[in-house]
Amino acid sequence: MSKIILFSFLFLFALKLLAKDYRIADFGAKADGVTVNTSTIQKAIDYINENGGGRLIFDAGNWVTGSIYLKSNVTLHLEYGATILGSTNPFDYVKDKKIGWMSMIFAVNQENIGITGKGTINGRGFTTANNMVNYIERGIYIDPLKLDRPNETNRPQNIYFRECKNVKINDITLRDPASWNQTYDQCINLYVDGITVDSKSYWNNDGIDVVDCDGVVIKNSYFDAADDVICFKSHSAEHICQNVVVDNCVGRSSANGLKFGTVSRGGFRNFKVTNLTIFDTFRSAITFAAVDGGEISNIVVDGVRSINTGNVIYLRIGDRWSKGKKPFMKDITISNVYAEVPFGKPDAGYNYEGPVEDLPRNISPASIVGLPDYKIQNVRLKNIEIVYPGAGNPLYAKRGLTSADLDSIPEMRTAYPEFSQFKELPAWGFYIRHAQGITFENVKLIAQKKDYRPAIVMDDVQGATFKGMQYNEPESNGKKQLFYQKSENVITE
Amino acid sequence: MLFEFNYNRKQIPQTPFPFGEGLGMGLQNEISMNKLKISILSLALLCVLRVSADDYKASLFGIKSNGTTMNTTAIQKAIDYIHEKGGGTLVFYVGRYLTGHIELKSNVKIKLEEGAILVGSTNIYDYNINGPYSSLVFAYQAENIAITGKGVIDGQGRDVAYNLVDQIHKGIILDEMKNDRPGSRRPRAIYLRECKNVEISGINIRNSADWVQVYDQCQNLKIDGITVDSKAFWNNDGLDIVDCKDVKVLNSFIDATDDAICFKSHDATKLCENVEVRNCVARSSANGIKFGTVTSGGYKNFKIVNNKVYDTFRSAITIATPDGGVIDNILVDSLNAYNTGNPIYLRIGARWNKGRTGSMSNITIQNMYCEVPAGKPDVGYEYEGPIEDLPRNISPSSIVGLKGQDITNVTLKNIHIVYPGNSNPDYAYRGTKPADLDSIPEMAASYPEFSQFKELPAWGFYVRHAKNVKFENITLTAKGKEYRPAIVLDDVKSATFTKMKYEEPGGGKKQVVQYKSSNVTTK
Amino acid sequence: MSKIKLTALFLALVLTLNLSAKEYKASLFGVKSEGITLNTKSIQKAIDYISENGGGKLVFYVGRYLTGTIQLKSNVIIELKEGAILVATSSIYDYYSAGGPKALIVADGQENIGVTGKGVIEGNSTSVLGQINAQIQKGYLKETVAKASPALIALNNCTNVTINEFNLFDATGNVQYYSGCKNLLINGVTVKSIDSKDSKGLVLSGCDGVKLSNIYFETSGKELETAGSSKNVSALNCKNVKGEKLQLKN
Repeated sequence: MSKIILFSFLFLFALKLLAKDYRIADFGAKADGVTVNTSTIQKAIDYINENGGGRLIFDAGNWVTGSIYLKSNVTLHLEYGATILGSTNPFDYVKDKKIGWMSMIFAVNQENIGITGKGTINGRGFTTANNMVNYIERGIYIDPLKLDRPNETNRPQNIYFRECKNVKINDITLRDPASWNQTYDQCINLYVDGITVDSKSYWNNDGIDVVDCDGVVIKNSYFDAADDVICFKSHSAEHICQNVVVDNCVGRSSANGLKFGTVSRGGFRNFKVTNLTIFDTFRSAITFAAVDGGEISNIVVDGVRSINTGNVIYLRIGDRWSKGKKPFMKDITISNVYAEVPFGKPDAGYNYEGPVEDLPRNISPASIVGLPDYKIQNVRLKNIEIVYPGAGNPLYAKRGLTSADLDSIPEMRTAYPEFSQFKELPAWGFYIRHAQGITFENVKLIAQKKDYRPAIVMDDVQGATFKGMQYNEPESNGKKQLFYQKSENVITE
Repeated sequence: MLFEFNYNRKQIPQTPFPFGEGLGMGLQNEISMNKLKISILSLALLCVLRVSADDYKASLFGIKSNGTTMNTTAIQKAIDYIHEKGGGTLVFYVGRYLTGHIELKSNVKIKLEEGAILVGSTNIYDYNINGPYSSLVFAYQAENIAITGKGVIDGQGRDVAYNLVDQIHKGIILDEMKNDRPGSRRPRAIYLRECKNVEISGINIRNSADWVQVYDQCQNLKIDGITVDSKAFWNNDGLDIVDCKDVKVLNSFIDATDDAICFKSHDATKLCENVEVRNCVARSSANGIKFGTVTSGGYKNFKIVNNKVYDTFRSAITIATPDGGVIDNILVDSLNAYNTGNPIYLRIGARWNKGRTGSMSNITIQNMYCEVPAGKPDVGYEYEGPIEDLPRNISPSSIVGLKGQDITNVTLKNIHIVYPGNSNPDYAYRGTKPADLDSIPEMAASYPEFSQFKELPAWGFYVRHAKNVKFENITLTAKGKEYRPAIVLDDVKSATFTKMKYEEPGGGKKQVVQYKSSNVTTK
Repeated sequence: MSKIKLTALFLALVLTLNLSAKEYKASLFGVKSEGITLNTKSIQKAIDYISENGGGKLVFYVGRYLTGTIQLKSNVIIELKEGAILVATSSIYDYYSAGGPKALIVADGQENIGVTGKGVIEGNSTSVLGQINAQIQKGYLKETVAKASPALIALNNCTNVTINEFNLFDATGNVQYYSGCKNLLINGVTVKSIDSKDSKGLVLSGCDGVKLSNIYFETSGKELETAGSSKNVSALNCKNVKGEKLQLKN
C-alpha cells in the first residue's frame, strides 16, 4: 500500500517537473463571459514566468480579457471548450508603444512561449471595431477614419508577438479579430501546427502574418480570412523573412491565398511551400510582391490546388516605398499546380467580400510583371494545369496585340500590387513582362469558352523556354496562343 | 368573469383541394387561365397551406426563423393580410425571428409557440422613435387582439439602449440624457393603446429597453400566466397598466429592474378601474406593486389578492397620488413580501396637480406578512436600486398625506411585519419631540418614495395627515433594539388599535407616540 | 501664509474650478451603469481625456459602476450624483498603488482634484478580502493581507483636494489615506467600514492644511490616524458611531 502511494507520489512529481501546470481559475479569473479578467490573467502569467515557467491552463468556459503580455517560458493552454474572449471595449486594449499596434495577446522580447490546446481565441472584433468607430465619431479617440474604418493599428489583433524566440502555436482556433489576426514580427523559430482560423469579422482580417521572421514552420492548418490568408511581410529594410516551411495548409480569402507583401522592405528568402489548397478566394492563390525595395529569392512552391480562385499566380516587382533600395525577385519554382478560375465572383456570400474593382476587364491571366529596370529572374513553372472560363469579350474590354496596345499597359511602378491592377490584359492564360529566364514545362492552359486573346503574351522577356505546352480553347483552330514582343531567346520545344 | 373574449372569427370555408400536389407549379405556366380561376385556385392553395381556418404559419409570408433576417416588413404584411381577411392567428414556431417595430391590427392574434423568440432589432432606427409609442409590438385602437403561447419576446434592450446612447453622443439624435440615459425613444416590448378585448398569455417577455409592456386606455385586458424577466436597462417596469378598465392580471411572474406591477394614470379625464391582480409573484429593484407615479386621473376598485413580493429594493406596495388623482376602494389581501426594503407606503403629494386635489380613501390591506432585511434586498441583481436619502436607519411603513389632505379610511388587518431594528441615533436621528416631528418636511412636490423623508421617528409605522385609520391584529417585530417607538401618529384624526403586538428586544417602552392627533383608541 | 489667507485662496481656487468645470457624462466614454461591466479602462480613459482637455467634472448618475483602480489626474473632479455607486471589483489584481497604498481611487502629484456628490464608493470588502486570503493561501499573492487590501482613496503629494458630501462604504483596507497633500478639504462624508478588521477611517501623513468637517465615522479601526507630521489640521463637527467627537491629537 505505502509503496503504491509512494510510487504515485513520485509519478505526480515527475509529471510536475515535465510541465508545471497552473489553472487560471486558481488566480481568481472567472469564466462567466462577462468578467474582464485582464489583470488576473496578467498576474498569472507574471507569476508563472517568475517561478520557472509552465502552462497556464484555461478550462472550458468563456474567459474575457483585454490586452495581456505573454512572458518567457509560459504557455497558454486552452482546453477543448475554453474560449478566450476579447473584451468588446476598445479601451481595454493597449496600443504597444514599441509595436505601435493594439492586440489582445502581446509578447515582446520573450522566449519559449506558446499558445496551445483545442480551445478558441475569439476577438469579437466586429463589435470592438464598431465600438471604436463610435468613440472616434464621438471625438473621444483620434483617428481619421480613412475608408470609414479605424486605422488597422487602432483595432486589436488577437496575437502580436515581436522579437520572440521559440514560439509554439498549436491546435488552437483563432476567430474574429478586429484587425489583422496574428502577427509574428522579427521572431526566431516559430512553429505553427494544426490551427484553425476564422477571420472575417471586420476589414483587414488576415489569416496569419509572419513579418521578418527567421525559421518558421506553418503546417496542417486551416485559414478562412477576409483579407490575405497566409501572409509574409517584411516591415524592416534591415530584416528579412527567411527559412520558412509551409506544409499541408488550406486557405480561403477575400484577398490572396499565399502572399508575400504587400510591405516588402527587407524581403523573403528560402521558402518551401508544399501541399497548399486555396479555394473560394477573391484574388490570387499565390501573390509574391517585391514593391518596397526588398528581395524575393529561392522560393519553391510544390503542390497547389487552387479551386474557385479569382487568379492563380501573380509575381510582381514594383517601386513603391523602396527609398533607393533595389528590389529583385529570382529563383522561383512553382510546380504541380491544378487551378480552376471561375467566371463569377469566387468569394460571393462570404462576410466582407473582396471589392469589385479595376473594371472593365475580362478574366485576368496569371501574371509575371517586373519593371524595365528590375526584371523578374529565373522563374520555373512545371506541371501546371489551369482551367480558365475564357469568354474574353473585346466589346466589353479590349487590349490587342499591336505594339501600341501592349505598350499602352501602364508600368504602375508605385501602385499597390494586385493581379487586376492593369485592368484588361492581352492574354487569357499568362501575361509576362520585364522578365529573364522563364521556363514553362508541361503546362496546360484550358479556356472553357472562346476568348479573343491568346493564351500567353510576353513583352520584354529575355530567355523563355516552353516545353510540353498544351492549349485548350474551343473554336481556336489555328489560333496562335503564344505571342511576344521585344523578347529574345524564346524557345518552344 | 369580467368579460368574455369575442373574436369575430371569419370562417374561411375549407373546401377540400381536389387537385394533385404539382398544381402550384402548373399555375405559373397556365397563362391562358382566366383571372377568376386563378383566384379560386390560390384561395384553395392557401387553405391547404394553413393548419386550420385561421392559423397562418409565419413562413407563408416569407418570415425567416434564422435570427439574422430582418422580418419587420414581412411580419407587418402578415398582420395586415390576416386583418384584411377578417382575422386569425399568426403562428411562430421554434426559431429566432428578428424584427423591428410591428403594429397589431384588429382580430389578429400572435401565437409564439414554445421555442419561438421574437427578437427585437438592436438598431434604434428600426423602431417608431419619433412618437410617444416607441415599441416593438404596438397596437392602436385595435380590438380582439392577443399575444399567446409559450414563446418569448426578447427586446435586446441593453444593446438598443446603448445604440441610442451612441447616436445621442454623436449628435445625431437630440436628447439631454437626464441621469445619463436617454429620456425618450427607448422602445417598450409591447405598447397597446386604446385597444379592446386584449389577451396576453403564456409568453415570456425579456430585456426591454424601457418599460416592458404598457397597456394604455385599454378595455377588457386579460394578462395570464406570463413571465417577465427584464433587467436590461433603466426604467424596466415589469407591467404598466395606464388608465385601463376591466383588467385581470393573473398567475404571472415578474422580475424587473423598475416597478414590477405598476398602475398609472396619465390622463386626468381617465381612471384605472376594475382591476384584479391575483396569484402573481413580483421582484423589483424599485417597488413590487405600485400605484403611480404619474397619477393624473386615479385608481378605483382594485382587488390585489394572493400575491408575493421578494428581493425588492423599495416597498412591497406603494400607493401614491402625487399628481391630483383620486384613489378609492383598493383592497390588498394576502400579500407576502420577503426580503423587501419597505412594506407599505401610502402617499398623497402635490407635484403635477394642475389645479386638481389628490385624494386617497378606502384602502384595506389585510393578511399581510413582510420581512424587511438589514442589508440591501436587491444585491447582485443587474441595475440594483440606487442607495439614496442617506443617512437614515431602516425606514418604517408610512401613511403620509398632506396638511389638509388626509388619507382617509385605511384599514390594516392581520398583518405581521418583521423589521431588522438596530437603528443608530448617532448615524441618523429623528426624535419624537414636537420640534423633531415638525422638522419632517412635507415634500409635497417631491417624487414619492418610502425613503424620501430620510430618517423617520418610528420603526414600524409612521402616519401623518390621515383620518380614520384602523389597526387590527397587527404584529410588529424589531429584531434588534430600536431608539424609536414602533408607531408615530402626527395629525391623525381618529385611529383605532385593536390586538396590537410589539416585539422588540428589551421592550417595555412606549411603542405608540401620538402628536397633534385626536380620537386615538386602543382596544 | 496665515491660515485665513490660505483658506481664502483655496476657496477662490475651488470656486474657479467649479465655475469653469466642463461636465462630462460617464456614458460618453462607454462607462456602463448596470453593475457588471468592469469599467476601469473606460473611466481611466475619461479621466485622462478630461485632464488632457483642460479639466472638468466626470459625472456619474444613478447606477452601479464596477471598477478597479482608477488614477485621478490634475483638474479632474469625479462627481457621484445621488444614487451613483462606484463599486470596487472583487478581482484583486485590478488594484494598484500610486505613491501610497493600493486603493480604488489613487493619485500621485496631481492638483485640483476631488470627489464630490451624494453617491457612494463601495469597497466590497467581504469579497475582496476573501479573494486576497485565497490568493495568499495558494501562494500566488506574496503580500501581507494589509498590503494587498485596497483603500477607497489614497492620494499622494496632491494639492487642492476636495472630498465632499458622499458616502464611503466597506473598505478592505483603510478608507482614506492622504500623504504629503496640501490643501485638503473633506466635508460631509459618511464613512462606514466595519466588515474588515482595523479599517481606519482616515490616515493623514505629512499633509499641510487639512480641513475636516461634518464627517461621520463608523469604522472597525481608528477614525483618524496621523502618521508623520501633518500641519494645520482642523476638525469641525466630526463624530463617530458612539457620538464621540473626533479628537485631533498633537
